[in-house]
Amino acid sequence: MKILVCLKQVPHQDARLEVAPGGTWIQDSNIKFDINDYDKYALELALRIKDAGEAEVVVASIGPDRATQALRTALGMGADRAVQVWDDAFAATDSLAIAKTLAAVAKEESFDLVVMGLMSDDANNSLTAPMLAQFLDLPHVTSVVKAELQDGKVEVERELEGGSLEVRSVPLPALLAVQTGINDVRYASLKGIMAAKKKPLAKKSLSDLGLDAGAVAPKVSIAKLYVPPKGEGAELVEGSPAEQASKVVAKIKELGLL
Amino acid sequence: MAKVLIVGEIQGGALREASLELVAVARGLGGDVVSLVLGKGVQGIAEDLSKKGGGKVLVAEGDALEAYSADTHTAVIQQAVEAEQPDLILLSNTPNGWDVAGKLAAVLDVAAVTDVFRIEADGDGFLLTRRMFNGKFDAQLRASGRTLATVQPGAATAYEGSDAGSVEALTVSGLSSRSTFVEVRKAAAGGHDLTKADIVVSGGRGLQKPEKFDEVLEPLCAALGAQMGASRPVVDAGWKPHEYQVGSSGQVIAPKLYVAVGISGAIQHLVGMKGSNFIIAINKDPDAPIFEVADLGVVGDLFEVVPALVEALKQAKG
Repeated sequence: MKILVCLKQVPHQDARLEVAPGGTWIQDSNIKFDINDYDKYALELALRIKDAGEAEVVVASIGPDRATQALRTALGMGADRAVQVWDDAFAATDSLAIAKTLAAVAKEESFDLVVMGLMSDDANNSLTAPMLAQFLDLPHVTSVVKAELQDGKVEVERELEGGSLEVRSVPLPALLAVQTGINDVRYASLKGIMAAKKKPLAKKSLSDLGLDAGAVAPKVSIAKLYVPPKGEGAELVEGSPAEQASKVVAKIKELGLL
Repeated sequence: MAKVLIVGEIQGGALREASLELVAVARGLGGDVVSLVLGKGVQGIAEDLSKKGGGKVLVAEGDALEAYSADTHTAVIQQAVEAEQPDLILLSNTPNGWDVAGKLAAVLDVAAVTDVFRIEADGDGFLLTRRMFNGKFDAQLRASGRTLATVQPGAATAYEGSDAGSVEALTVSGLSSRSTFVEVRKAAAGGHDLTKADIVVSGGRGLQKPEKFDEVLEPLCAALGAQMGASRPVVDAGWKPHEYQVGSSGQVIAPKLYVAVGISGAIQHLVGMKGSNFIIAINKDPDAPIFEVADLGVVGDLFEVVPALVEALKQAKG
């Protein structure tokens, strides 16, 4: 069995984010990056399938030089090989272009299962996975919270609203876009990190994949990124922690809840 | 003027309120509005929508459409798009909405933007506004040509006018789904019901360690007589069981008082608690989105503020 895990390197959850001077993206030169949280769960799902039997896990990412680190981490966790794609055309891109490029990567081999996160923590689009499924002509399920491989198919649970779950049976090959929290993501062990240095990591350009900048020209661009305008917002309580506390308590008293 | 196709969504045998919100968004753009309703036994829903501002309502009926499937829904919506040639296709940003949106955009090869809360026409395309970076920033996106958008439920008020539209059958043959619907079931219910609590105190990643829920948050719950809740990242990390989760995929609550401690306020959390009668937020980041929905905000270190609050509550009660 061959599994492709698509992952994205995004700003670390604890990074302090600010809008860059151009006003269309964040200042990303001096911040810490990490594997997108959703994608970590997707990777863990793939690695558990590998642990349970025979599977090769390939990780792919579209990202600049810094994204090599994310792929090395994934290799350190147990993935077998990595593919990194970059072209300056991706500096301003959209989900459709990313999905087309990932499809070109996937089509170079033959995968039984493609897994990735439901969305990225930066763009929050939740578009790339179903787009990629379409380009690969695969059935897909998003918001996956449970996946169990059976003979030639995968039984999945998809998260709906209000605590409801939908159970679906999907024939392989298939694409699954997973929710966060579905498993306990492993850390790369020191031994794993050492081993990762010797695992293959292929760097590809658009032309290596038979694409050019025109093929991945975006239809959606960011015109403006900004801190949301302050509405009426909260009344802020000033002072030392003790002073703040007594003002909050006064409010709770006023509400008749004490 | 932009022509808009609304894709209605059926839930529990009725049209979702979110679909009527799409009507309001579409009508706000001032152009032609057509709608699509697809399912089994949905003729009545289509007729109803045609009287509620949906304009001409296409209705696709069939056994194959009884349960949602990305394959069948994509095929039907694609056919409606080919028939109507809309400039803008609107779906609701729901689990079914985002499941089909990307696939449909790939099939149609059109611009796609999800979870938007404002749309304006712009030349041959649209300007769409949405949150990014888990609520930290807003972005205005420029989409060129035909555009597909999912709209955040609650972003618009449901259209309330009554206009005479019409209903037309959309015949779609040869529908099949590669994946098979098995069932919808409720997640195992825990005993931790937050929906009936008068006061809920929830903790987020700001608490830094699972044991801080007992050390820091529990005394505050005790002093207020509150039930404890948690944000999604905390539940994902396994610090608290899922039955503690407040948000769109956890419990949706509206207590008399909600206290958010160390929670930044991602959209999916806000959806779960913004109906609370009074909201107090404690967070070190003054730009945290939680302060936008809070009534009272404390910008500070929760590890100093919460113990001070517990002390002040004890004194107040004597």
